[in-house]
Amino acid sequence: MMLLSLLPQLVVSGISTGMLYALIALSMTVVYRATTVVNFGHGDMVAAGAYASFVFGVGFGLPFLVAMALALAVLFLGGFAVQRFLMQPIIAAPHLSLAMMALAVGYTLRGGMRLEWGNETINLPRPYPQDVYMLGDVVITTDDLVICGFVILLLAALFVLLQVTPLGKVIQATFQSQRGAALVGINVPAFHAAMWGGGAALGAIGGIMLAMITPLTPDLGQWTLVQGFAAMTLGGFGSLGGAVAGGILLGVTEKLLGFYVNTMFIEITGYLVPIIVLLLRPQGLFGRRTIVRV
Amino acid sequence: MVIGRRWFWLIPLGLLPVPLLLNPYQQYVLNTALLYVPVGIGFNLVVGNLGLLAFSNVAYFGLGAYTSGIMMATLGAPWWLTIVPAAIVGGLAGSLASIPALRGVRLFYLAIMTLAFGELMRWTYIRWESLTGGSMGMAVPTAHLFGWALDSDARKFFVFLALVVVIVIGTDKLLRSRFGRAFQAIKDNEVAAAAMGIPTDRYIVLAFAWGGAVVGIGGAMFAISVGHLSPASFDMTELILQFAIIMVGGLGSLMGSIIGAVIITIAPQVFISFPGFAELVFGLLIILVILFLPRGLASLVARVHPMFVERYYRG
Amino acid sequence: MRIWQALLALVVATGLARPAGADSTQGITDTTITIGNLGPFSGSASVFTPLNYGPEAYLRYINSQGGVNGRKFVTVFADSSCNEAKGIAAAKKLVSEDKVFMIMGNPCSGVAMAIKPMLVQEGVPWMGSSANPKISTPASPGIFHAVYPGSEAGRAMATFALSKPGTTKFALAMHSDDWAHGYCDAATDYIKAHGGEIVATTVMEHGATDGTAQALQIKASGAQAVMGCLYQPELVVLLRELQKYQVGAITVGALGADFNQVVAAFPNRDWLKQHFFQPYQFQAKIGTGPLKKFHDIFVKYLTKDELPKDGVPTNFYYYGVPVAIVAVEAFRRAGPHPTRESWEKAIESLKDFDTGVLADTETFGPDNHVGVHKMYAVGLDAQGQETVYKAWGDPLPNAE
Repeated sequence: MMLLSLLPQLVVSGISTGMLYALIALSMTVVYRATTVVNFGHGDMVAAGAYASFVFGVGFGLPFLVAMALALAVLFLGGFAVQRFLMQPIIAAPHLSLAMMALAVGYTLRGGMRLEWGNETINLPRPYPQDVYMLGDVVITTDDLVICGFVILLLAALFVLLQVTPLGKVIQATFQSQRGAALVGINVPAFHAAMWGGGAALGAIGGIMLAMITPLTPDLGQWTLVQGFAAMTLGGFGSLGGAVAGGILLGVTEKLLGFYVNTMFIEITGYLVPIIVLLLRPQGLFGRRTIVRV
Repeated sequence: MVIGRRWFWLIPLGLLPVPLLLNPYQQYVLNTALLYVPVGIGFNLVVGNLGLLAFSNVAYFGLGAYTSGIMMATLGAPWWLTIVPAAIVGGLAGSLASIPALRGVRLFYLAIMTLAFGELMRWTYIRWESLTGGSMGMAVPTAHLFGWALDSDARKFFVFLALVVVIVIGTDKLLRSRFGRAFQAIKDNEVAAAAMGIPTDRYIVLAFAWGGAVVGIGGAMFAISVGHLSPASFDMTELILQFAIIMVGGLGSLMGSIIGAVIITIAPQVFISFPGFAELVFGLLIILVILFLPRGLASLVARVHPMFVERYYRG
Repeated sequence: MRIWQALLALVVATGLARPAGADSTQGITDTTITIGNLGPFSGSASVFTPLNYGPEAYLRYINSQGGVNGRKFVTVFADSSCNEAKGIAAAKKLVSEDKVFMIMGNPCSGVAMAIKPMLVQEGVPWMGSSANPKISTPASPGIFHAVYPGSEAGRAMATFALSKPGTTKFALAMHSDDWAHGYCDAATDYIKAHGGEIVATTVMEHGATDGTAQALQIKASGAQAVMGCLYQPELVVLLRELQKYQVGAITVGALGADFNQVVAAFPNRDWLKQHFFQPYQFQAKIGTGPLKKFHDIFVKYLTKDELPKDGVPTNFYYYGVPVAIVAVEAFRRAGPHPTRESWEKAIESLKDFDTGVLADTETFGPDNHVGVHKMYAVGLDAQGQETVYKAWGDPLPNAE
């Protein structure tokens, strides 16, 4: 079914979904750049962010932005604590232990969420009216606009933070060389913990947005983890811009494959992409070739 | 194990009369623990002894199980005849998974790729309906051993025990040979090992293949123990379970694989009647083990008596 | 050498021993009947546990009325986590250790199929709510479906859609698991047998958060009705996409979603009116008319943890109850000295038995172990009110 007339719609939709993937990938990249650990439990933190927002917004009845801010704060603290008390002590352990620890934290978190909300399906109410706009033949909803707008704003803010502010310089410095940063007097362990917190908070934003467009269940994170990996790999591990590009590309590819080939491919795009990319061009689109020192 | 050969045989022999004491439920749980021993051993070989993050274990497990099940269901093959093909398919899959490793892919990249490989296999079980019954799953016919029907858990137990003993001894021999030493060298410093003249590529493939084959045999055991295969049995949750086996048991330790398999199979039975907390407690257990017992339970056992120390496992 | 011989003899003896089936009064004492309640109490399928709590509430209610023929019900819960290996362990524990009379609940089809051979071999009866029609057809001793297997629900989905005049083109939106196939395969067969055609088949995975490709394919295919064999979250996602692209087809969901919860996910119901339907299992709207009695039973006999957070029992609680109602009725008819065989005969003797819950009455026979077939449909009428339909445009008279 080669309905090229639907191509613009698919692309627009793909960009919208891709923005969410980009956000997730971005949050995982922040963590990875700071500590060279891939947080296998990140998906569950994304879901936790959504639940936190639910608790503050619907449970305590606070206005949406306040609830979101509180949720971000909670997730920041959570991410900070996880790194400080669970990852830092084992920082010298083999990579498998680090990966497993992250996975276990996510698993435990999911168990907790299921205990509390397992029997319910929760819908996070949207703070904006649901309208539909037409751009020619292409349908755009306020969801699409809000997600894209928010992510772009966030990226702009991050860019400003990193390039302009002193804090940003500190972050960039530590990204580039931890030893150098330590020599200059930057508190590297605190930095690690803070970056985990930041990554968790960014992921929480993604979770909140996801929970507005799909029903919230404790397993929300599982799917996003795979997409996050795929996007990171595609864009180039460790590249912030790459994570965003990878996410958007992934979103569009999924839609196109799903519509023009077969919907059953949507699920495995997330699995095929890392394999293909890592075999053909391991550094992804924007990453750097890493040199292993002996 | 450095345990003298005679002492070692006490364990399987001591287990022989156990079926008399157990009801079918307990026997089934014991069988499950037994079949996870080769799964743990295979996983541990690549991740623990060789030191590579290959997360594709569930792929070999599923392939071994489906190979056995499909051969029994469509070809009418008796179970004992399917063990070798299951091992071969598992070994081939392992070799396939070793390709990125041979090209230098390491650490988290390797982890993600092999993880994706595992999930792709699961997708294949679902899609290739004509062969696997798709997501409906397929029933595995009763197993036979040279005409002796394995239709009770007790009977399966004896066969499983025999298989596990063979695999344990075989892997122990492997680890104590020059292959095992090479694995150790590669794990410690791959470049130095290559510089010393060790053909690292060959040994990496060997480790992956052996690991895959052994796990595949575990899969064949799984097929007749559970009797019904569906793709959902081979998902991420299963991978986490297998991780727990080797982490709790002890990375790189043969004894650890056995201990881990037993504990991770038997401990959750407690939760059958108190299910709410299962995920939570399981996750906490792994966190605690990683924090306080990073070398696994095998390291505790090794401290009890030098007899239990394995040369290839510096517990 | 003696030791070796002794051990060998042991092996042979154990190996030769034939496993004894559960005896025919296992689980029945003079004062109690022990029921095994198997369900996905942990893991991602735990949203279906109301299917286990519904029948349990009824058993507690019966106990409060003095039980059946002087015997009260004792329930042992076991967690299958919707995983075959765990499910088998749980079922074996219930049968061998807790010595239950029967297994009840079991919403997970994969687990049901996996434990079926063991149950039949041991002679343990089963009455569950899992959808896979292969469980009860062809009839196996002791295995009964007192609620609708997926095949019946799938047929009901297709029947309702076909009852809308002019509907001939159908699209499928389904998961790729056995549960979804249970519904959609039956729907497909019925559609084809009644002059309809499948113009699009789309797949959605569990946990998918986007349905753009699926919705657009459906729209492009010109389908007039969509068979949505999906769990609740994915169904909501699909409906949103269909609404977004203004797809004119009606969507009939499956029983993996709760109608009210799906509707609640749409602050703006206008599009749902006359667009979203589900097969309906019950005689009246839940909590009203004949079903009010069960609402009260659930609220009274279930604990806070067993009910939803807001305390209002949902669709699945009611859907789980009939297995208990039929089981209890069979015990009544089996008399003061029930055995497994007499209980099974009692079930097979049921003809047009009204559970007071389901849309159809229960009829069993020696070769027919599926008790109910006919279903209604539920949707929102033009005013946005939840309405139960016998067919398109043919609502049930409102019962209060």
